[in-house]
Amino acid sequence: MEVRFRSIFLVVLALLNSSSLIAQEPVKAGTLIEPKVTRQDINEANIDSENFELGLLVGVISIEDFSSSPLFGLRAAYHINEDFFIEATYGQAEAGETSFEVLSGGAPFLTEEERDYSFYNVSFGYNLNGETFFTDNLVFNSATYFTLGAGSTDFGGDERFTVSLGAGYRLLLTDYMALHFTLRDHLFNSELIGKEKTTHNIEYGFSATFFF
Amino acid sequence: MLCLRLKSGGHKVKMAFQNPFNFRFLLLVCMWLCTTSALSEELIQAKVVEPYVEIHSGPAGGYPVIHVAAKGEWITVLKRRTSWFKIITADEIQGWIKQDDLHLTESSQGQPVKLFDGSFASFSERDIEFGMLGGSFEGTPSLTIFADWVATENISAGVSVTQALGDLSESQYFLVKAQHTTFPEWRLSPYISLGVGQIRTQPKANLVQSGDEARTSDLYAVGLGVRYYLAKNFLVKLEYNNLQALTSRDENEEIEEWKLGFAVYF
Repeated sequence: MEVRFRSIFLVVLALLNSSSLIAQEPVKAGTLIEPKVTRQDINEANIDSENFELGLLVGVISIEDFSSSPLFGLRAAYHINEDFFIEATYGQAEAGETSFEVLSGGAPFLTEEERDYSFYNVSFGYNLNGETFFTDNLVFNSATYFTLGAGSTDFGGDERFTVSLGAGYRLLLTDYMALHFTLRDHLFNSELIGKEKTTHNIEYGFSATFFF
Repeated sequence: MLCLRLKSGGHKVKMAFQNPFNFRFLLLVCMWLCTTSALSEELIQAKVVEPYVEIHSGPAGGYPVIHVAAKGEWITVLKRRTSWFKIITADEIQGWIKQDDLHLTESSQGQPVKLFDGSFASFSERDIEFGMLGGSFEGTPSLTIFADWVATENISAGVSVTQALGDLSESQYFLVKAQHTTFPEWRLSPYISLGVGQIRTQPKANLVQSGDEARTSDLYAVGLGVRYYLAKNFLVKLEYNNLQALTSRDENEEIEEWKLGFAVYF
């Protein structure tokens, strides 16, 4: 049985080989070998589009009245056109102590859990496209951008409606990899240390993102 | 296969490189692999049919023109960012051309290149939409994100998540919705929606010290909205929702909500 299978397999193999040999035309000396390039028709589906951007964010956030803390987060963006984009950011930090808590050494305003600071926001961004010349020959595409967005901040045991205003600089190391330097103000109302007021929480961020 | 076997033991790799014949063989195999993969790749090419096409250094109109592809020249399309296309010419010059300029080329079949996406024509063929709305939820600021699957021209199904942050309480709800658009062919078109979901409301921490006052209720929603096809793959939406929260109290809670936002479609 096995012998029969093997012989059938060999016959098939031999047939395939011979047919491919017959099909081959003799190559003339000096003939250029043209690469077999099959050209695809152009449509939306077969062009790789890279409008999404995803990356990690690290930085420092100054939480009003609660000192500054390191910040870690995620950043995603969708580029609508060359000028506008939509950006979503999520970040986490842990708030420090107020000067009162440090100086008086008294009872803390917040519990450990309430000191966890996290936020998300969705922003509209506007690009000022440009180029950055590090030297005469080392040139990268870049953009300075402004963002305006809204979201929520979870801090002091409550979620707070937050408006964010920002400016950033995007340096495109390659077509698909970018570095960002951002400065953003998160504004929300807080009554944590008494009277309700609008707080400004300034974030300095550095992020690395990939386009896909 | 060869690479795998070589990787499996450092000893064998060393052997391969010590012997110049083996090394050359390895190099040949690598070259063969590279060339075959490059040759078998399908190139997306187009021929310039107008006098010239401008090639920019970056994917935006402001970037300088660094080269032009002349009539009759073949260009290979590498990738796309928004409505800009990264191309490479036969002389290996890379750059970006805009979508309007790509329409000045023809395909290998001799057909004029025309991409329909980012036009109102493609809008009716969209499959999914997602976006964000901001508005007023009984007077408090609210934010909604949503994703819709466009089943037919008229009907779509979707999910949305909303967070409303008031001075007294914070509400979160999700809805599973069905939407109907009577006139899908209109650029500005009204739609109605019906949805079911759940709402969770939590009073502010400074009002309730115990913090266990959060309540969850079932939610029904009836909505009315208009959507406007703005440009590219971009919509603007304005919605009014009437929500009924089925509370455990004597009366159901009626909530009115206005939202304005945008959506992108694919």
